[in-house]
Amino acid sequence: MTGKRDTKDPGSLSRRDFLRGGALVGIGAATAQHARAAANANRQATATSGSAAGSPVLRGRTRIELEINGTKRAVQVEPRTSLLEALRVHITPPLTGTKLVCDGGNCGACTVLIDGEPAAACMTLALDAAGHKLRTIEGEGTPADMSPLQASFCEHDGMMCGFCTSGFIMSLTAALEANPAANEDELRAACSGNLCRCGTYPQVFEAALAVAQPKRGER
Amino acid sequence: MSTSEKLTWKRGDANRVLGKNIKRVDGPAKATGTALYGHDMRPANLVFARFVPCPVPSAEVTVDLQAALAVPGVVDAVRVSGDKTLFLGEPVAAVAAETPEAAREGAAALLAALKLVELPACVDSAQALKPDAPNVSRRGNATRERTKTDGDPEAAIEATLADGGALVEARYTVPVQHHACLETHGMTVEYSGGETAIIHGSIQGTFSLLDGPPEALGLKDADVEGNVQHMGGGFGSKFGVGVEGRVACELAKRLGRPVHLFMDRETEFHAAGNRSGNEVTVRAAATKDGRITALISDSNKLGGLSGGSYPGLPYVYEVAAVKGTTRSVHTNTDGNRAMRAPGHPQASFGMEALVDELAYATGTDLIEMRKLNLPEGEWGDVWRQQLERAAKEIGWFEHELRSAPGSAALSLDREEAIGIGFGVSVWGGGGYKSNEVQISLDRKGSLVAAVGTQDLGTGSRTLVAAVVAEEFGLEVDDVAARIGSTKLGRGNMSGGSTTTASLAPALKDAAVKMKAALIDVAAAALGEKPEALSFFAGGSVATSDGSKSLSWTELAGQLSAAGLTANGTWREELQASGAHGAQAAKVSVDLVTGRVRVLEMVACHDAGLILNALAAKSQVQGAMVQALSYALFEERLIDADLGLRLNPNFETYKLAGSLQIPTMKVFFDDDPRGVIGIGEPPAIPGAAAIANAVHNACGVRVRDLPLTPDKVLMGLEELRNA
Repeated sequence: MTGKRDTKDPGSLSRRDFLRGGALVGIGAATAQHARAAANANRQATATSGSAAGSPVLRGRTRIELEINGTKRAVQVEPRTSLLEALRVHITPPLTGTKLVCDGGNCGACTVLIDGEPAAACMTLALDAAGHKLRTIEGEGTPADMSPLQASFCEHDGMMCGFCTSGFIMSLTAALEANPAANEDELRAACSGNLCRCGTYPQVFEAALAVAQPKRGER
Repeated sequence: MSTSEKLTWKRGDANRVLGKNIKRVDGPAKATGTALYGHDMRPANLVFARFVPCPVPSAEVTVDLQAALAVPGVVDAVRVSGDKTLFLGEPVAAVAAETPEAAREGAAALLAALKLVELPACVDSAQALKPDAPNVSRRGNATRERTKTDGDPEAAIEATLADGGALVEARYTVPVQHHACLETHGMTVEYSGGETAIIHGSIQGTFSLLDGPPEALGLKDADVEGNVQHMGGGFGSKFGVGVEGRVACELAKRLGRPVHLFMDRETEFHAAGNRSGNEVTVRAAATKDGRITALISDSNKLGGLSGGSYPGLPYVYEVAAVKGTTRSVHTNTDGNRAMRAPGHPQASFGMEALVDELAYATGTDLIEMRKLNLPEGEWGDVWRQQLERAAKEIGWFEHELRSAPGSAALSLDREEAIGIGFGVSVWGGGGYKSNEVQISLDRKGSLVAAVGTQDLGTGSRTLVAAVVAEEFGLEVDDVAARIGSTKLGRGNMSGGSTTTASLAPALKDAAVKMKAALIDVAAAALGEKPEALSFFAGGSVATSDGSKSLSWTELAGQLSAAGLTANGTWREELQASGAHGAQAAKVSVDLVTGRVRVLEMVACHDAGLILNALAAKSQVQGAMVQALSYALFEERLIDADLGLRLNPNFETYKLAGSLQIPTMKVFFDDDPRGVIGIGEPPAIPGAAAIANAVHNACGVRVRDLPLTPDKVLMGLEELRNA
């Protein structure tokens, strides 16, 4: 499958959690007893260091520029601000087409393209996104002038409630740009990090396949 | 044209729009990210709020609001629960801040500062049913026990066994499943301290937004607007404004500022409802030719603080002698809510498993077994035909394992086994008098159809335009559909698969009335009798020989400056109820790893008149995906000893994704009835069919969902050792 790149820095995951000052309860292979202890320890650690003086939470807003859909946009963010929060909340006017669903990199609803690669905006710090070319659903088309993939989603009913749709379209857009002749297996793999609770998958595959250009002799 | 006459739907090709593949009118908005959901609303001066969930199942909680208020950016914090929390993850407090980041930090600080005195609690039925278990509810941990008896099942079992029949004794269990709506529960309360407010909710009934919030804000109902233009999934979990609505309004009132309160994903998993789990112990007998003669069942409905949903056994099939006991077993976990055919998938799983186990025990073909035990009469015949079709489409009649499961597992040189399974469903559907539709036409020919109903992703907005367009010979895009506001005519909540059958008749009624009025207008303009005129494609009105006509625009131009409006209400004759279905699943079982892959699913349903073939197919396929996910992956996990929730996120609560989707085929009966609704029925039989297919493939009967590889491997090991 096409791996989802969370950020450019493989170590940024833990860094993000550190910066966000949020409680991370790691369960993993630990026993439940261990997990409970860890949860408590984490809770208490936050109590002593989270908001008191000498906090490790880096504070303060800073102005950065994000290049979104070809336009430079100024935005005030904190070190802990995720790219998703920057897009949905802090930029004026906000870009709410990118959805917040799990806030943990598990569902693909906030997929944006960073330098053409799909990434979870909830797992990317806004600061890390500066200096890169960002693409969001808003840049792919408008209702009156949709991209071929967006139009195909409408044609094949590749959406029901629509909350996952932006993420699917961004993941599949990247896949089709990387390989315009992608077959169904490749397209399925490309959106294997995207969840749709309404279960629209078959229509999503149809929509994406309809805009894929088959290699000569195929199909 | 008299509108007191009974109305009828046109059928098949007599329609230009209805019954065809109608593209969603809000598809472009959703595909471009411009559709605004409650989560996306950003009124000026907005405050972002967040819940703090209780980390233990039950505790006396001391909340230090100051811990949150000390965090820069936090503007308010309120208590949500009482001093004693009753379920794992119950929101104890809410924190409001200038930014989501500050709200998160404030909530973490408040959580860390919670003082908890843990109280004895139960998180599973084994704990709750112990004699010395702490009381979850005042009425005890087992409530609402009911027993239904029909005939003498013990005597029937005895007689059946004496006659060479077979007995199956088993216990079937299903876990708690989450709705897992992608848009979490919540709302944006647009209120700035004045006399009016707009509530942007993610909810299954627009008008429910007026149930509580006006009072909480101290405003008159008429001064509050509920708004649900788009919402990110409900599946039964979003009736009423909930604790999130109450608290969002409380904060907005306290602050005099707009409040955005949507549950974070973890809180959503703890406190936004679920499909109740179930455990049922059964004894059932069948004659040697496969007739089920007796069924004794005892089931625990596992709905946490609520009662759970379960219709009891037998499900759909007819059994002469029955004794069925059901009871609710309570735990300190979030109460269940309605979820897509409440109770039915649970009952279907046990029942269909039992049918197969009895079929194998008596050497009966699985399809013949079902046909024999379905009810006599018209509806039984509908199911028999649906089963026959599903069997044919899935390749049953070429399949070798029709009356005995595969024994491939016993030979270690096979790596894969293929099996087929079936299930049937029943649901009510149908509509009721609830929707007040208004259609208005102006002198330029702009036609607006308005009703306050909501679109959960089912396509109701599209339906509003399509039903009206059909009546006038117009295209769907010629009609502007306005929905999702309490300022429009009333609509019903989307529950029980009743939206379409409640809405469509009212739309047609309004359109028919407007047509009659427009024919009169045209008759006056053309100097013809109304009876001589009718509507044609494109909305023109003409005589039958075409000698006199008015185009749609000319017709509209005849109206007064006020235009024309027509109001529609429900017409019972346009709807029906009673939905039947049969589904088949073909699976591949990896005999080395125990992994189950669903290769194909077939659905055959009746749903009355299908108004939008595309949306109906999407609904059925989506329901099958949810059933597949329920069968193979989904399960709320709580460590019973520690009362610790293990999987409140999408990393560990697994949903089916793109790599697990089988080939799907959907067939609707040619059903002469009116509109019924198709949201729930197709969600029922899929999980049972998949579990049955696994048994059919390799002889392993997993009686406990989800069908994870470990359970299959254990079953294979048992078979090999037997």
